[in-house]
Amino acid sequence: MKEEKECAFVIEGKMALPYQYYAGAIGSQFIVALRDDKRILGVRCEKCRKTFVPPRQSCERCFSSLTDHWVEVGSSGVLTGFTVIRYAEPYQPKEPPYVLALIKLDGADTPIAHILECGDARNARIGMRVRAVFSEKPRDTILAISHFEEE
Amino acid sequence: MGKEKEGRELIVSRQILSIPQHFSTGPVMGRFLAELRDNKRIMANKCPKCGRHQLPPREVCAICHVEATGWDELPPVGTIRDFDVIYYASPDPLTGETRQVPYVLCWVDLDGTQGDAPFWHLLDVDDLTKVRRGVRVRVVFADDRRGATEDIRHFEIIPDEPIEGGDAR
Repeated sequence: MKEEKECAFVIEGKMALPYQYYAGAIGSQFIVALRDDKRILGVRCEKCRKTFVPPRQSCERCFSSLTDHWVEVGSSGVLTGFTVIRYAEPYQPKEPPYVLALIKLDGADTPIAHILECGDARNARIGMRVRAVFSEKPRDTILAISHFEEE
Repeated sequence: MGKEKEGRELIVSRQILSIPQHFSTGPVMGRFLAELRDNKRIMANKCPKCGRHQLPPREVCAICHVEATGWDELPPVGTIRDFDVIYYASPDPLTGETRQVPYVLCWVDLDGTQGDAPFWHLLDVDDLTKVRRGVRVRVVFADDRRGATEDIRHFEIIPDEPIEGGDAR
């Protein structure tokens, strides 16, 4: 059996999967406003008195259509939660360690997830005021906002 | 990236996900693959209790649940037991590549097994009407072998050999 164990080895493989993500009508309008106008848009359900950022096509509570219920929210807000990413994976937007934060923008009722740059991760605290820093170059993703920083 | 549709831009993100894979052979598959790579030998292991072959080998006999310790070299020729013609290819889990369709997968009873260890691999054939149960086939080894099941490139039909058991289709 010892001899057989010496036969064990590892085969390396690499899987490449072509992948397409469609932001959809609502998501596209959100991204285009971020990229071209540096404006953060949400949708508001008047019935439930809730503003959703990022926007969605229908209200999560009453299911009514929110297709033409655009509102602009502030580019600053409050940190409602965060975690510190310490492991590295090639798909990550940034070298770890970094802070991935939940930010409730002024005028919004739901938080969005984004990178918080605050120097040392120990500087992050729930309730702190943060503002969006937009990307220098135009980007077709949520990274049209480069990151958030302390206000 | 963006696409204009009725005056409104729709965002599409096209990416290629790259996923590293590590397949650990373990001692038994390791021996099978090392023999393929180094010696072009097809090794089946054998149950000490019921005597059946397992190909590809596994550590324990699937029937008797005892450790399968014996090894037999099998000849690289056999008979098609069954086959599939594939017209819709799914990606290879190790590379993500898809094969050109249609292609043929066959289950082969190598000579020396008693129909208890069908071996599964590609069959290279230009004419699909030649694929039948009972057709005699042989292994074609890859030139560049790395200790993987692709070290067998495919099976091919042995020309001018009679179909075993007559034309079963």
